[in-house]
Amino acid sequence: MSRRILVNVFGSEEDIVGAAARAREGGYTILDAYTPFAVHGLDVAMGIRPTRLAYVCLAFGLTGAIAKLGFQIWTSAWDWPVNVGGKPLVSIPAFVPVTFEVMVLFAGVGTVLAFLLRSRLFPGAAPKATYFRATDDQFVLVLEERDASFDVRNVEALFRPFKLLHLEEQIVRE
Amino acid sequence: MLSHRSFRMTAPFRQSLLAVTGAGVVATCAGIVLSPDRTWPNLLLANTYLMSLALGGVLFVALQYVSHAGWATVIRRVPEAMTLALPVSGVVMILILFGIPSLYEWSHPSAVEHSHVLQAKAGWLNAPFFVIRTVAYIGLWIALSSLILRYSRAQDLDGSIDHTLRNRRVSASFIVVFAFTFTLASMDWIMSLQPHWYSTIFGVYNFSGLFLNALATITVVVILLRRRGYFGTAVTEAHLHDLGKLIFAFSTFWMYIWFSQYILIWYANIPEEVRFYTMRSGGGWLTLTIVNVLFNWLIPFVVLMPAWAKRSEGLLLRVCMIVMLGHWIDLFWMILPPFMKDGPTVSLWELAPMTAGICGFFLLTFTSLGKHKIFPVKDPYLGESLAQDH
Repeated sequence: MSRRILVNVFGSEEDIVGAAARAREGGYTILDAYTPFAVHGLDVAMGIRPTRLAYVCLAFGLTGAIAKLGFQIWTSAWDWPVNVGGKPLVSIPAFVPVTFEVMVLFAGVGTVLAFLLRSRLFPGAAPKATYFRATDDQFVLVLEERDASFDVRNVEALFRPFKLLHLEEQIVRE
Repeated sequence: MLSHRSFRMTAPFRQSLLAVTGAGVVATCAGIVLSPDRTWPNLLLANTYLMSLALGGVLFVALQYVSHAGWATVIRRVPEAMTLALPVSGVVMILILFGIPSLYEWSHPSAVEHSHVLQAKAGWLNAPFFVIRTVAYIGLWIALSSLILRYSRAQDLDGSIDHTLRNRRVSASFIVVFAFTFTLASMDWIMSLQPHWYSTIFGVYNFSGLFLNALATITVVVILLRRRGYFGTAVTEAHLHDLGKLIFAFSTFWMYIWFSQYILIWYANIPEEVRFYTMRSGGGWLTLTIVNVLFNWLIPFVVLMPAWAKRSEGLLLRVCMIVMLGHWIDLFWMILPPFMKDGPTVSLWELAPMTAGICGFFLLTFTSLGKHKIFPVKDPYLGESLAQDH
């Protein structure tokens, strides 16, 4: 299956944020935006719902903490009891630093992997480059051309206040 | 955007703050005469609290300058105003030096005579050197912070970028000087209350509490001013979000340092070190230990975790008040156990200095706020700060 997209290129972050809000008000479907750096406020302008990565992070963190705490209790009190300085076998304060570090490790690595997977950024994924200068100094907003009533001239008129540098239609295969 | 009005305290508000502060000062003076052994440590506590707010204010401003940060420029006059408490608490700290015999065991020749440890420490812990150090810390802090404030306020008049550039250098010096002197000051003023005990992380621990409390107080003042419309539309939820993030981070940092100090001492289990914790792990002191961790870390950590909570003015205000109370508990927990072996008690001698300290702090801060423009109107970063609406 393939679909037609319209690639709109802007020169500044203010322009792409304004244009994204305008496009959404005008009822256009924004497929994605590509920018050289993270642009504050672009997610709100595009109407993207809040990220759910925080829950992934929480789940990974809890998993890491519980697994590591269980592992320490198992190794030092259950499988091979070790008396350290006469302290109780299950001495929670002694387990806290390692539990904390493993929790952070799981949460950090897990969240990054989940993000890469969800964004389809992994070896073998089909490249999605629409306009190369988005990785350099220009800001790209991609609209979907849903039906025959889509008119590029209307979009150009809509984006007139925002200094549209370049505009091209592409066909992408999925 | 900058349709602001300058800050004015209403006369009744100012007078009631003045009256309560005055009553607190009078009661504290009475306490020094009637119950010196209880009042001196509480005066030290209240003054440390007051001073930590003032120092935290300077530190916040200095960090914005050295990191070239723009987000906080619209609220910078609040931490700047907090530093008016620095000279006041400096003077009170010098008055507290008269309480050395009531406060510090190492100042008693009979105690030193029977303790090898105190004899070994006498080169550092002796009254004349203690006085010299105290004056030196306070002098350095006042000198550097007044430079920062002077340049910041001079910029309101001429708008010259040189003030920003100069303040970057002064701020960098302040941060370095502060790191060393505050570590020593917290060891002198608080750690030496139990002169046989020592902890090398004590300075960092005190810094973490100081900065957490200063952030919470800045946020409280910002929210109070915002609710009364003094900031117009300039201070948005994005600024509250940023303050909330810092409070969340430094609350966790405080817990991290608290636990780092605890675990090394707990693990090594050396009698002269664990004494600090055994004094605080029985009866009422154990309750206070738990409440301390609850107020300074668990409540802020859990409540401020979601993004919407940091952007909610009401919720943030409540958490900040808990943190402000928590810092009092933290200092109470550090300072008072040697003077209250039977467990924490709160009477007039505990409340009077603290009431004077808190009301005096707000009186000084609001007075200072009224004297200058509520925004640094010609700061080159003001535009960036106003554009924070994400």
